[in-house]
Amino acid sequence: MRLRTDDDIYRARLLYLGPPGYTLPFQLPYAQYGLFALLVPVFMLIHYSFTLHVDLFPAWEIALSMVTTSLVFRYVDPDRPARMVVRTALTDWRRTREPNTEHREARLVASQVRVRQELI
Amino acid sequence: MTATPPRADTTGERPADPPTPAPGASQSGVDDTTTRRSPAQAEPPPGGGSTGGPAGGATTGPAPLAVFRAPGAAPTPPTPAPQTPGTPPAASAGRQGAGAANPASQARTGAPSGAYPTVPPQDTRRPAPDASGQYPTVAPPPNGQQPTAAPRRDQSGQYPTVQDRSGQYRTVQPGRERGGMPAEGPATRTGSHPTVVTPGHTTGGQPTIRPPAGTAPTSAPPTSGRQAAPGTPAAPPPAPVQAPAPAPAPAPAPAPQQAPQPQAPQAQAPQAPQAPQQAPVPQAQRAPQRPASRPAKRAGKAGKRGDAAAAPGRTRKGAAPARVKAPPKPRYKDRPAPVELAITEIAGHLTFTPTTVTAWYWLPEMRWAFRPDTEREAMIVAIAEQYAGLAGFRLHLRRTSKPFPADEWARTVNANTPHPLPTPPGAPTWSDHLVAAQRHLVSVNHAEGQTYLGITFARRTFRDNLAERLGSLRGKGVGHAERKRAARMVGQFDEVLGAFGMRGRRVTPTELEWLIYRSVALCMDPPQMLSSVRQGEWDTSDLLALTEHVERYRTPYGSTVKLVNRMTGEERHACVLTVGRMEPLEIPERHEPWMHFHERLPWPMEISSRVDVLGPGDTFRNLEHRLRMIRSQQSDYVEHGMDVPPELERLARRALTVGDDMTTGLPLDASRVHGWHRIAIGGATREECLERARALTKMYSRDMRISLQHPKNQEWMAREFIPGEPIANTGYVRRMPVKLFAAALPQGASNVGDRRGDLIGRTAGTSRRPVFLDLHFPMEVRERSGLGVFVSEPGGGKSTLVGGLGYLAARRGVQTTLLDPSGPLARICEMPELKPYSRVLNLTGSEPGTLAPYALIPTPQRAHFPTGPSGDREYEISVSNARAERRMLVQDICSMLIPPQVTREASTAALLRHAARQVPAEESSTLDDVVAALRETDDDGRELANLLMDAAEMPLAMLFFGRPDRAIADPEHRDVLTVITMAGLRLPDLKIEREYWSAEEQLALPMLHTAHRLAVRRCYSGDMNARKLVGLDEAHFMEGWRSGRSFLVRLARDSRKWNIAGLVASQNPKDILGLDVQNLVSTVFVGRIAEDPEIAAEALRLLRVPRGVGYEQILGTLSTSDAASTQRLTYREFVMRDVDGRVQRMRVDLSYVSRLLDYLDTTPTQPGAEPATPPTSAVRGATSQEA
Repeated sequence: MRLRTDDDIYRARLLYLGPPGYTLPFQLPYAQYGLFALLVPVFMLIHYSFTLHVDLFPAWEIALSMVTTSLVFRYVDPDRPARMVVRTALTDWRRTREPNTEHREARLVASQVRVRQELI
Repeated sequence: MTATPPRADTTGERPADPPTPAPGASQSGVDDTTTRRSPAQAEPPPGGGSTGGPAGGATTGPAPLAVFRAPGAAPTPPTPAPQTPGTPPAASAGRQGAGAANPASQARTGAPSGAYPTVPPQDTRRPAPDASGQYPTVAPPPNGQQPTAAPRRDQSGQYPTVQDRSGQYRTVQPGRERGGMPAEGPATRTGSHPTVVTPGHTTGGQPTIRPPAGTAPTSAPPTSGRQAAPGTPAAPPPAPVQAPAPAPAPAPAPAPQQAPQPQAPQAQAPQAPQAPQQAPVPQAQRAPQRPASRPAKRAGKAGKRGDAAAAPGRTRKGAAPARVKAPPKPRYKDRPAPVELAITEIAGHLTFTPTTVTAWYWLPEMRWAFRPDTEREAMIVAIAEQYAGLAGFRLHLRRTSKPFPADEWARTVNANTPHPLPTPPGAPTWSDHLVAAQRHLVSVNHAEGQTYLGITFARRTFRDNLAERLGSLRGKGVGHAERKRAARMVGQFDEVLGAFGMRGRRVTPTELEWLIYRSVALCMDPPQMLSSVRQGEWDTSDLLALTEHVERYRTPYGSTVKLVNRMTGEERHACVLTVGRMEPLEIPERHEPWMHFHERLPWPMEISSRVDVLGPGDTFRNLEHRLRMIRSQQSDYVEHGMDVPPELERLARRALTVGDDMTTGLPLDASRVHGWHRIAIGGATREECLERARALTKMYSRDMRISLQHPKNQEWMAREFIPGEPIANTGYVRRMPVKLFAAALPQGASNVGDRRGDLIGRTAGTSRRPVFLDLHFPMEVRERSGLGVFVSEPGGGKSTLVGGLGYLAARRGVQTTLLDPSGPLARICEMPELKPYSRVLNLTGSEPGTLAPYALIPTPQRAHFPTGPSGDREYEISVSNARAERRMLVQDICSMLIPPQVTREASTAALLRHAARQVPAEESSTLDDVVAALRETDDDGRELANLLMDAAEMPLAMLFFGRPDRAIADPEHRDVLTVITMAGLRLPDLKIEREYWSAEEQLALPMLHTAHRLAVRRCYSGDMNARKLVGLDEAHFMEGWRSGRSFLVRLARDSRKWNIAGLVASQNPKDILGLDVQNLVSTVFVGRIAEDPEIAAEALRLLRVPRGVGYEQILGTLSTSDAASTQRLTYREFVMRDVDGRVQRMRVDLSYVSRLLDYLDTTPTQPGAEPATPPTSAVRGATSQEA
C-alpha cells in the first residue's frame, strides 16, 4: 500500500505579484504583507506612547516593520508559521542562543483533578 | 527462493551497522546475549537508573533495589562493603559521583537516583564536615534543639540542606521535621540524597519486590514502600533486631561536634541496609520548612568569622559564640507556583476540561512481525475505517510505557516452581537465581507499551462550567445531567473502536491517572508501586498528587526541558521531536509502521499525536479551497506576463487527482487526518538526551524517510503530551489520509513466549521485550504436545540453547535428560549448584548391554491407565504397541549393523522380520536372541547372524548385545540432571552414501538411535505428571528410519500424557518435516541458515511463515557478525515460534546466570587462552558425579 501525505499541496508558495497591470519588482508571500500591516500600527502605538504624537506618514514605523517582517520571515517555512516564530521570539527575546542554566517553570499539578470511578 | 530484499520489519538491528554510535545506543548490535560484559555496561538503562541507579549496581554488587526472593530459600547474604565506622560521611559524599562505578558505595550513600535507601543509618546529630573539611561552627540554638540551619554541605548534598542557586532541592531538617520521631539515630539518613526519599520510591524504573522472606533478616528488604504511600506519613518502622534502638528523646543540647554516637558502629554493620530506616516525611510537613539557603550561607560566614575570631591575637575575651540572627527571607520561593492542569475531572473513562470532554480508550498491542502482508493490510484498513468513523472529532493518541514487572514475573515463576533444586552450600540459591534474573530484566530495561486514544467529542457550555463550579463547592464536580448526556454520546465510540482493528476498550480512571502522571513527568521513571504491583494499595488521586513533586526547568531557546522529581531526586532531560516532512511509504511491504518504528531503539519513548479527523465533506472543501488558491496564483503569473513555476501546475494536478479519488472512492479514501505528531525522548543528562534524539532522527531519516524536527519551545511541546492541555505549536501539521495514520500503528508489538517461564532472552526485531519460555506451558496450559524443535546451521547456537534450557529446567527441579553426542553439555554437570544432582553417562565407555534395544522401550504399567474395562483395553493396546515398537526398533538396529549392501536385499528384511517375530518382544529379550533365531533359519539367515556377530566384535557394538545393565538404565535413578554423551564417537556425514562410511561411523547410527531411546526411557518412570525434559541433539540421524519417526511421534504424543518437554535439535528442518510430525511441534527455534535457500524455505515452513516474500534472507542475517570485527560473536539469534503461533526474532541471553556460558562454551579456545572448566567426567566415562 503506497501511502503519502497531502502536505505538498499545502506547501505551494503563494506570492503577491502586484496590482493588476503592474508587476512589483519583488514578490513576497501574502502572509508577509499581512504581518507588515500588523506591525506598522504596533510600532505607531509604541511611538505614540513615547512622544504622544502621531505622524501622518510613519516613515520610521514602516521602515522598522519592514525590517522586522523580513527578520521574522527568515525563519518561516511551510512547517513553521510566522505566529510560532514571533511567539518564540517574544518568549526568549533576551537571548540569542541557549544558555547553560535553566529557569524554573511553573509546575503542572494535577492534584486538584477530581476522580470519579464511574461516569454516572 | 526469490530475490526479494530482506523484509524491513524483521531485520532488526543490524549488527554491522548499528543505528547509532551513541553511548546509549551503540550496544544495539552486540549487547547482551552471551556477552561477558555486565548488562549494565552493555545497555545503559535508557529509562531508568539515570544516575547510576539500579542498573549500575545490578551486577557488580548489591544493587540498591529490592527484588523478589523466593520465600523459604535462604538467600546468600548480601555483601555490602561495610563502612568503616570512622569514615566521615564526606568520604561517601565524594564517592557519590562515582556511584555507577561503585554501586556498593552508592548503596551505602543512597543513590541520588532515589533508589532504595539501603543506607546504613548514621548519626545525624554529628554534623558532617563542610566541603572544606571543617565542621560548621553554627552555635546550637539556646533552646537546645537542633540548629535550624543545617550545616551546609557541598553540592553533592549529602547533608540535608537546601541546594544552591538552581534551587532544585530543598529538603527536610532531619531533626525538626519528624516531630514525634525523636531520635534520628537509625531513622535518618545522613549519607543520603538531600531530598526526602521514601523507601518505596526508586527511580530505577523497576520496582522489585522482596518477598515476605521467612528467613533471617540479614537480607530482609527495606519495607517495600507499599506500606507507606508517598505523601502519607508512615508509622515508624519497628526497630529491627540489628538496628540500634532509637533514642527516646533528643539529647538535650548536644554540641553537634561532640555528640557521641554509640550506635554508629552498629548502624554501619552490613545488616543495616536492610533495616527499614525512614518513615517517609509527609509532604505537608515538608512544605512549611524554613528556607535554609541563606542561613547556611550566613552560617558559613559566621564560621569564617568565628575562625578568625578564634585565631590567636585577635581574640577579644575569648571566642564568643557567633550570634545567630533570624534568617532573612529566601531569594527563592520553595517551589515554583503550581499551575493546575486543564483537566478538572476524571469520570469513568471521560476527562473534563473547562471547554471539552474527552473519552479515552485503551488500545491493545498488536502483533506485526512475520505476519502475511494481506493480514497486515487488512488490519491497517480496518483501523483506518475506525478512524474514518470518528470524523469530526479531535483525537489524542498517546503511547507511553510501563517497565516490565520483573517482580511479578518472578513471583509467577516461583509459584510455578514448587520444588526448586536444593542448593549445596556455596552455590547460588534458587532465590539468588531469581534475583539475578530480575536484576537483569531491570538492567536491560524492557518496557511494555501502552497506547491510549482520546476522543474529544463535546464542547462544554458556560452552563456546564457553572454547574461544575457549584458542584465542586459541594464536592460533587461535573453535573449529573452533563455526565448523563456524555454517557449517551460515548456509546457510539465503544461501538466503533471495539470492532476488529483497534479493539479498544474503555480506560479505567486508574489508567487515566497513570497516563496523566506519566505525561506530567514526561520520560521520568514511573512511581514505583503502581508500575508493577497490581495490588498496590493506592487511593484515588494518590498518583495525581505525585505530580506536585515534578518541577520543570526551561532555558530560552532550549533544546530540552529539565524535569526534576523532588520526591526522588531524579533529574531527567526530555526532548520533544515532531514529525516533519514524510516521503511516500509502502507500509506493509517495505516499511514498518512509522510510529512503531521508534521501538527499535532500546530506550523508552513517549508518543503524542493530536489530530483532527476530517470527513469527506470537510476534506473536499479544504482541498478545493487550496486548489483555487493555486489556480489563482497561476492566473496571477499569466496576468503579469511571468513564467508560471512548474511546481504550481504539478501541485494543481495532484490536488485534482486527490479530489478525484475523494469523489469517486469510498469515504475511507476521502477522510483525512490533520494533526501533529510528537515523540519525546528522555535522558539522564542533556547530552545523553540530545544524543538519543540524534540517533532517532538519523534512524527515521534513513529507514523511513521521515524527517524528525526539533523545534524550539520544548516546554510547550512537552506540555502537549498531557491530556487536555492545548496544542503547543501549530507548525508541522501533517495532513494525511486516514490509512497513513492507521499505518502509524503505535500499538504494534512483538511479544513472544509465555510469561511464566524462565528468562531466555529478548526479542530483537522491531522492539525489545523479554522472552520467557516455560517448556511445560504447552502441556499444562495449552494442552498441546510439548515437542520443541531447534534448527540451525552448525554454530548457530542450538546446543548452547538446549544446554541452557536444560540448566534452567534442572534449576527448577525438572527431571532433565540431555543427549549430547559430542559432549560439551556434560560440563554443566560440573556447575556447583547442579553437581550433587547430576551425572554424566558416557555411552562409549559403558557396560555391554546398555543400549540393548528391547530394554529401551518401557512396558506400560497398568497403574498409569484409568481403572475399568476401558482402561484395561487401553492398557492392552499400549502393551502391544510397545511390543510392536520393540520389534521395529530391533529390525532397524539390525539393519544398521549389517552392511548396507546386504540391507538392500529383499530377503534380509524378511529374515529380520521373521527373527524378530520368533523372539518375545519383552524388555528382557536381547539382540543375542535375535541372532540365535536367525541361526535357526536357512543359510541366508545364518549368514545374516554371522554378519551381526561380526559387527558385535567392535567394542562399541557390544553395547547392543547382552543384558542391560540395571545400574545404568535404572529408571529409579533420581538424579535431576543426566547428560548422556558419546565422547569420541565419529558421526558420519549424512550426505555421503552409507557404503562409504567407516565401520566406526556405521556404528554411530544405531548408537544415536538407541541413545535417543535411552534418553527418553528415563522419563517413563515415576510420577506421570511430574515435569520432565528431554533434550536431544543431532536428531537428523533419525530421519529415514521407521523407528525414528515412530520415536518422535511417540515422544510428541506422550509429551502431554507424561508431561515431557522434548527438545529436538537438528541441522535441517527437512528432517522434522520429513517425519511429518509438524503438527505436533509446539515451539520452534530457527537459527542462522545462510547457505541453502531451500533449507531456509523449509525452516519457514516449520515456522509457518509465508515463503517467497523475503523472509528467507532474514534467516541468513541472524547472528551475523561484523566483518570488521575480530571478536567472536557474543550472542545468537533465533526466529522463535511459540505455542500460540507468534513468531518473532529473538536474541538468546542467558548471561544473567553466572558462569553458565563459561560452562556451555562449545567453541574451541586457543591453547593459551583460559579454558573453560574441562569436562573431566566425559573423559572418565559413565561415572556418577556425586559430590
